[in-house]
Amino acid sequence: MNKNSLIFLLSSVGLIVLPHSANIPPALFGFFSLMLSWRFVCVWRPQYLPTTRILFFLTLLAFALLLSQHRHLLGRDAGTNLFILALGLKLLEIKAERDIYLVTYLAFIVAASLFLYEQSLLIAAYILAVCCALLATLVTINSIQVQTRAALKTAAVIILQAIPMAAIIFILFPRIEAPRWMLFEEKNKAKIGLSDSMEPGSISDLGTSEELVFRVKFTGAIPPPKQRYWRGPVLSYTDGKRWTQLSSQRFEAHTTPPRTTGIAYSYTLLMEAQEKNWVFALELPTQFAKPLAQTGYYQLINLENPTKRAEYQITSYLQYNTQRVTQIEYQDSIQLPREPSDKIKQLVTQLHGFDSKPDAFIQQLLNHFKQEDFHYTLTPPLMEDNPIESFLFTTRRGFCSHYAAAFVYLMRVAHIPARVVTGYQGGEFNTVGNFLEVRQANAHAWAEVWLENQGWVRVDPTAAIAPERIEQQLNLDQLELGGEIFFNASNAKHTNWLKKGLQLWENADYQWQRWVVNYSSNQSNFLSSFGIHDFKTMMQWLMALVGLITVLLSIFLLHQKKKAIDPVLRLYQQFCQKLQPTGLIITSREGAVDFAQRATTALPEHAEMIEEITAAFIQLRYGRVTTRENFIRFAKLVAKFKLNNRRLGWR
Amino acid sequence: MQKYTQQLLDSANQIILGKEHKIRLAVCCLLARGHLLIEDIPGVGKTTLAHTLAKLLGLHYQRIQFTSDILPADILGASVFDGKSHEFTFHPGPVFNQMVLADEINRATPKAQSALLEAMEEGQVTIEGKTYPLPKPFFVIATQNPSHQIGTFPLPESQLDRFLMRIELGYPDPKAERALLTGQSRQKLIASLSVQLPPEQLQLMQQSVTKVHTSDALLDYCQAIINFTRESTEYPCGLSPRAGLALLSAAKAWAFLDQRDAVIPEDIQAVLPSVAGHRLRAGHTNSEAIVAPILDKVPAL
Repeated sequence: MNKNSLIFLLSSVGLIVLPHSANIPPALFGFFSLMLSWRFVCVWRPQYLPTTRILFFLTLLAFALLLSQHRHLLGRDAGTNLFILALGLKLLEIKAERDIYLVTYLAFIVAASLFLYEQSLLIAAYILAVCCALLATLVTINSIQVQTRAALKTAAVIILQAIPMAAIIFILFPRIEAPRWMLFEEKNKAKIGLSDSMEPGSISDLGTSEELVFRVKFTGAIPPPKQRYWRGPVLSYTDGKRWTQLSSQRFEAHTTPPRTTGIAYSYTLLMEAQEKNWVFALELPTQFAKPLAQTGYYQLINLENPTKRAEYQITSYLQYNTQRVTQIEYQDSIQLPREPSDKIKQLVTQLHGFDSKPDAFIQQLLNHFKQEDFHYTLTPPLMEDNPIESFLFTTRRGFCSHYAAAFVYLMRVAHIPARVVTGYQGGEFNTVGNFLEVRQANAHAWAEVWLENQGWVRVDPTAAIAPERIEQQLNLDQLELGGEIFFNASNAKHTNWLKKGLQLWENADYQWQRWVVNYSSNQSNFLSSFGIHDFKTMMQWLMALVGLITVLLSIFLLHQKKKAIDPVLRLYQQFCQKLQPTGLIITSREGAVDFAQRATTALPEHAEMIEEITAAFIQLRYGRVTTRENFIRFAKLVAKFKLNNRRLGWR
Repeated sequence: MQKYTQQLLDSANQIILGKEHKIRLAVCCLLARGHLLIEDIPGVGKTTLAHTLAKLLGLHYQRIQFTSDILPADILGASVFDGKSHEFTFHPGPVFNQMVLADEINRATPKAQSALLEAMEEGQVTIEGKTYPLPKPFFVIATQNPSHQIGTFPLPESQLDRFLMRIELGYPDPKAERALLTGQSRQKLIASLSVQLPPEQLQLMQQSVTKVHTSDALLDYCQAIINFTRESTEYPCGLSPRAGLALLSAAKAWAFLDQRDAVIPEDIQAVLPSVAGHRLRAGHTNSEAIVAPILDKVPAL
């Protein structure tokens, strides 16, 4: 093992473990780095290599460290860390060639284990690149004197050649559902999302997060931006400060199904991994498949494991009528913690809340928000006691939750059933991939009012005070600064090409998530569209295609060899083929002279001709002067050469 | 010119029976200006072959019997104090001859071996600050016993590389053996030999050998062989560039012996065992077996 390939191997091992630094405990990562640096030093100072005894104690230490961090050896984290520690220890034990193989294979396992933590396009590209370096190490140690660059090139070619086969196996290999105990522990990685309660103020930090929540791909029409309300949990209980969910099971059974009209929007929803089992469908979802279910609040929930990224097919209608409400639902929706204060009652009276129709009162209230000195801001002042009253009369600054909470509260004071709905509003359209991206920044809260003959109707008080919030995207960069929110009319945060580039990248990532990472759940659908329905046909196709690729590759390789042949040799091969029927076949080690000798002994009657052809061939291929006339003469000789029919007849 | 070589070969074949191919290789080695190493068990005619060639070529010839106590001075010569002139005068050793037969070279200690091998490499001898050129042409034919025999110091790879070819003689076939047993004594026969190829002719031939043509197709084959030895796992290390040059010049001499002015793959195949065998695997004596994988796997055309 020479120094260079050792350095190369150590560096690629270091590169493979590097992304794991975010996943494994610092103590273990430190241990591994120590082992790696130790080995690096030993490249130049071999006398510092540990003895077997020290190595034994290091191994014990590694085990103790591992157990102190995980207390067991099962599961994703402990298993991966075990491999990393073993890799680090094995580095110190490289003595013979087989140790290098072992280290390389361990490194491949560690590289694969990265996918247990992250499946993004970037990490995949990274792992592929590092695997290329590892393969290059294998190439170097398997041949004498190979330049690093040549080895890398060979490794890259090997990877490229493996891609078609890998793609076919990826597409066709049957996916087996992982048993429960193999499911990865992802609890320590809490997902930020909507909370199940709302206390005006609690949603503010959410608004600034660019984290992706879900993507939507519409099959037909796309709803206008103003109508993109993605329904999440409905909060109908309040204690005056907090708004919380109530179980809908008490009235679910009696809820009448909504009547829908207008255009049906069908779409595919790709949810990122969530902590809660909420699925944010466009208002109002009507058709969906298992494992989805709808609560009495028309919210969709996933009955199974929500911690994995999943894809759903949903159809929604923007125009709907939920009709009657049950008694319990009605009671829940006018619930107030205590008798409202006189100041509030006075405001409701002033806006004709008690003496006009509900629609008129809603309009009055929205006008009140619009005309009075109300402002939309993401950094409102704190409102500790009596938040609704201080918001309505003193501070008058807030964001969606404040407006929705105040609106619903005032509705309830006027005995109109109302509730707060949280979810997401809007979403950015990716023109490259034709899909909608909804991020945490799109989190929103609005109100829902029950009206006679119309059922539950959505009212968004935020739209009244800051219509731009609904019609356009927020300029997220400015949100942190506080104060008034400025809406970016042209949305020209980035120059055009940069925006285009970003969209391209988002699209690539979306396609990657959808078609590669999430493929297991799509496999049966995808294959069905090609007429592959059951396991047996799947395996048949798999074997047929793998066989086909093998044949194609071998034809390609054979063909490639033939291409480089010079015309003289090709003519000579024709000559050899003419001799073939007599059983005379030139072997690969035979030169023309040796073959001619064999041929003349076997076919004495052709001896003269064979010798002439051989001499001409030798002259053309190896001789000092090769003229065109000689070549033509040789070509004619070969063309003229013919075996005696008599001889053929005998055989 | 060809007549000389034919006579040379014919005469040699009368002395050493049934070894036409080996004798041809030995002559080929001389034409390519290489030194020759003959490796075999005692008594198969190594010394006789060297002796015969020297006689036929009419070269000044000296034999050095290597023993375990031989010293460099015994080979190179030494300065001896002359009582009359009261000076040290250099008395050249046996190495100052056109043809040197180093018999049983691996019985000497490495120190004595390297004295000879350095002389071979540089074509001159430096003793006590003075440089003495060796005569021209200068050939060394060394013989060695297989290294498994008692009392041998195997030559290291770096020194084996100085020999263009290593050949094994092997036992004669029954027919040749019978002729040998019934025939005259070899010593007498050698003594009666006349010069068949005078040194001036030999030097002319050596000139012509370098001019033998090597086409691109042939160089491709030659490089394919070299690459194969470097990439294959059969050999601990591949052929060096010097070995490649040696292979080519030996093949040229072989083509010349065959009266061709261009090298063909068969020439390379013919000299490959002797040229590459000891360079690829020093310890093994069966050169044919060592290069068999190369010939099998590298296509000749």
